[in-house]
Amino acid sequence: MTQGTRDGRVPARGTLTRRNLVAATAAGAASAAGQRLWRGAAALGAASSRDTVVMAPSYVIRSLDPGHTLEPLGEMICHAAYDALVTLNGEDLSNPRPHVAASWMVTGGGRLYTFTLRRDIRFASGNPLTSADVKWSFERVINLKSNPAFFLDNVAAVTAPDPYTVVLRLRDPQPSIISILSNGALGIVDSKAAAAQGADAGPDAASRDHAEGYLNSHSLGSGPFILESHTPNQEVVLARNPRHWRGAPSIARVVIKNIPEASTQALGLERGDLDIATGLGLANAQTLMRVPSVVVKNSLIAASFVMMVNMDPALSGSLANPKIIQAIRYGLDYDGILKIAGPGAVRMAGVIPNNLAGALDPREAVKTDRDRAKALVRESGIAAPRGRMNYASDQTSFGIQYPILAQKLQADLAAVGITVDLNGLPGAVALGDYRAGRSPALFGGYVADYPDATDFLVYLPGRLVGKRLRWPATASAAAGELAHWGDQAEQEADARARVALLQKVQRRLLEIGPYIPLFTPALPWGYRADLRGVTFNSVWGTDFFTVRRT
Amino acid sequence: MNLAVYIGRRVLFLPAMLVGITLLTFVLSHAVPADPVAANLGEQAAANPEVVAAFRHQWGLDRPLPQQYLIYIWRLVHGDMGTSISTHQAVTTDLGQDLPATVELAFAAMLISLAVGIPLGILAGVRRDTVVDQISRGGSLIGVSMPVFWLGLVALVVFYAWLGWAPSAGQLSPRLSRPPAVTNFVVIDALLAGEGDIARDALSHLVLPALVLSAYSIGVITRMMRGSMLDVLGEDYVRTARAKGLSGLRVTLRHAARNALLPVITIVGLSFGGLLSGAVITETVFAWPGLGSYAFRSATSLDFPAIMGVGIVVASVYVFANLLVDVAYAVADPRIRMG
Repeated sequence: MTQGTRDGRVPARGTLTRRNLVAATAAGAASAAGQRLWRGAAALGAASSRDTVVMAPSYVIRSLDPGHTLEPLGEMICHAAYDALVTLNGEDLSNPRPHVAASWMVTGGGRLYTFTLRRDIRFASGNPLTSADVKWSFERVINLKSNPAFFLDNVAAVTAPDPYTVVLRLRDPQPSIISILSNGALGIVDSKAAAAQGADAGPDAASRDHAEGYLNSHSLGSGPFILESHTPNQEVVLARNPRHWRGAPSIARVVIKNIPEASTQALGLERGDLDIATGLGLANAQTLMRVPSVVVKNSLIAASFVMMVNMDPALSGSLANPKIIQAIRYGLDYDGILKIAGPGAVRMAGVIPNNLAGALDPREAVKTDRDRAKALVRESGIAAPRGRMNYASDQTSFGIQYPILAQKLQADLAAVGITVDLNGLPGAVALGDYRAGRSPALFGGYVADYPDATDFLVYLPGRLVGKRLRWPATASAAAGELAHWGDQAEQEADARARVALLQKVQRRLLEIGPYIPLFTPALPWGYRADLRGVTFNSVWGTDFFTVRRT
Repeated sequence: MNLAVYIGRRVLFLPAMLVGITLLTFVLSHAVPADPVAANLGEQAAANPEVVAAFRHQWGLDRPLPQQYLIYIWRLVHGDMGTSISTHQAVTTDLGQDLPATVELAFAAMLISLAVGIPLGILAGVRRDTVVDQISRGGSLIGVSMPVFWLGLVALVVFYAWLGWAPSAGQLSPRLSRPPAVTNFVVIDALLAGEGDIARDALSHLVLPALVLSAYSIGVITRMMRGSMLDVLGEDYVRTARAKGLSGLRVTLRHAARNALLPVITIVGLSFGGLLSGAVITETVFAWPGLGSYAFRSATSLDFPAIMGVGIVVASVYVFANLLVDVAYAVADPRIRMG
């Protein structure tokens, strides 16, 4: 249709009318504005993409306050923002290294740990880091009585005899305290700045401390990064700390995004919108292996996947019979289970993960022997052994889908004449049942709270997991003896003797305990190939200080 | 009846309905056989009675349930929805942060649904049993039957990963910073901050999830509009209009479509409520930080104050959507309010 002028005349093509002029001007302005906006966005992206790292982890943050945090992502952020006395080198969990503490000395029969601090460390605020801050930070963790308080359960006192010396007096010898101190939750907080925000480290800290809200969106540490912003359930932004004592990190900003769907993470990583993704899932990780711009890794996690049976026959029925427990061990198809666990997962002979000193050699692990399993069922005298197994039907850990693993265990046991009725429950319900000691049988992964094999003594009678399976140390003389060996292993200062004790404990545990070790899992994760220095460990994930872009 | 009186009566009914909703949500969320301690404390902490007692005391879980409910209602009356166990923020702050993202998404999806569904329905009704009608019916059937989760992932793979037409998941490109929060509507906040590039980026991120979310309501609106058009086109007044010599387009738009819209208004109102409360899957696939994601996380971590807050907001949205539908009906058809 041809537009006419108000008097009805049709202008010749190319004639400049008032309407054409306005339209042309508007179009030009819109085009210029559009181009400017486009260029602006592109330039913004280009300027920030080189020194910004975008990560999509498995996103659960309960707190970013070192006095309260425990979940892996909270630990990772605390590790970036707060320096701890000791640290770990990437994925090597066995050799804690000096960090804020330049050195340490153990005396008093393994009960006195004296740390000499570095003198060149300042918090991001500019305040110097001294022994008073270490003492205050540890006392706050103890007195807040929150999630990480158990790390320092064995600490009787923290003293600061001079500005650069800290002494931990333990109730009992505990060589694992050095590994424990690498934890992000035990990062050193700027006590002066924190007190100004309502933090308290005194005996009544649980009721008097009001700093968690502040520390959820600000950091008060000396780490290589500063918590720039935290939008709950959406993202965390870390900014480079220019004052960091090891020098400013190569990466200027770290953006940690909540991307719950594994496939969305995979697409973002493939397209380069994400730099690191740790919630990919097994299938996506395998697909990404074909993408040259992405590096896919399967990192062994300090966790043990174990099937367990409640020792109370009223709950677990015939499954609690010792012969039936042995039959389960021989009846499972471990090769098939490892396929479900995914690449990188390793068969586990005991309950200590294969990447920690004290683990049994995987070659010691029970081999599938269905005839022997059937014979053990016959020896039990139970005609048709049967029991119920709880599992979290909505849970996926390290890419392992719990419903699939549950069905595999059920099918394997059915093949040797043991009937397992599966009871899929929402995660919180399954966890609640287990913690209340109400689960008849179950399986799950216990992830290390700290990188030391003694954390896995929780499986012993009378300890954390043992109690939940109604297996007290008083259950039998053998259980009592096993518990005693566990105490010895925990206090043994000599590394070799300690490993030997831990292995003895596990072998005995498999003879008399309700556990069927399955595997040490591996996390499938990936990062862009132009990044260097990217590692993942199960204590505090990725250390952003070492990450750089080529 | 006067329109204002009609609306006033409906609004007065609202508080009683909200109290009923809080009671129902409270009872249902506490009937779940799970403990917030299990969902929020670590293994070791949950085994320490002192830590567990401190946790229960901090969140008021050590009080009898009726007392917990009455305290909640008392605070609610004073505008306090409590503090979220998961985020440690006031639930009102959380909702103020997450609800706008969902409203933005639902509003965009509704606009698309109306812009596509109504013309398509009209066209299908007018061209009954033609190829256009068959395509429209087939398309709407696909729209209502396709799982949103699958559709979302396919849309991401095709338009983001393969063709590169759509941006990444999320409200903004990952490397961009959010504008300072004023309204928590990212596009508006970006414009208020004079950040045109961020507003443009936010708008471009809105398109794909809104299209995916609108698929179902496009299908419903198209089918409803087509059916309604078929009814209306057979009416005497349409025949009269044609007999008067009015053009086909004028008869269709002025006489038929206008009257055929009435039943569609109901569907639009309910669909908008559904879009707001049911966007959880779309939000998960597109990493959209909205109310649906907040509701899911609150439920899995047994965050009772947050669950209550979401329940109240979703119920209120439905109530208000219904109210708006009724009012729109009353405006469009005066016989309703007179009755």
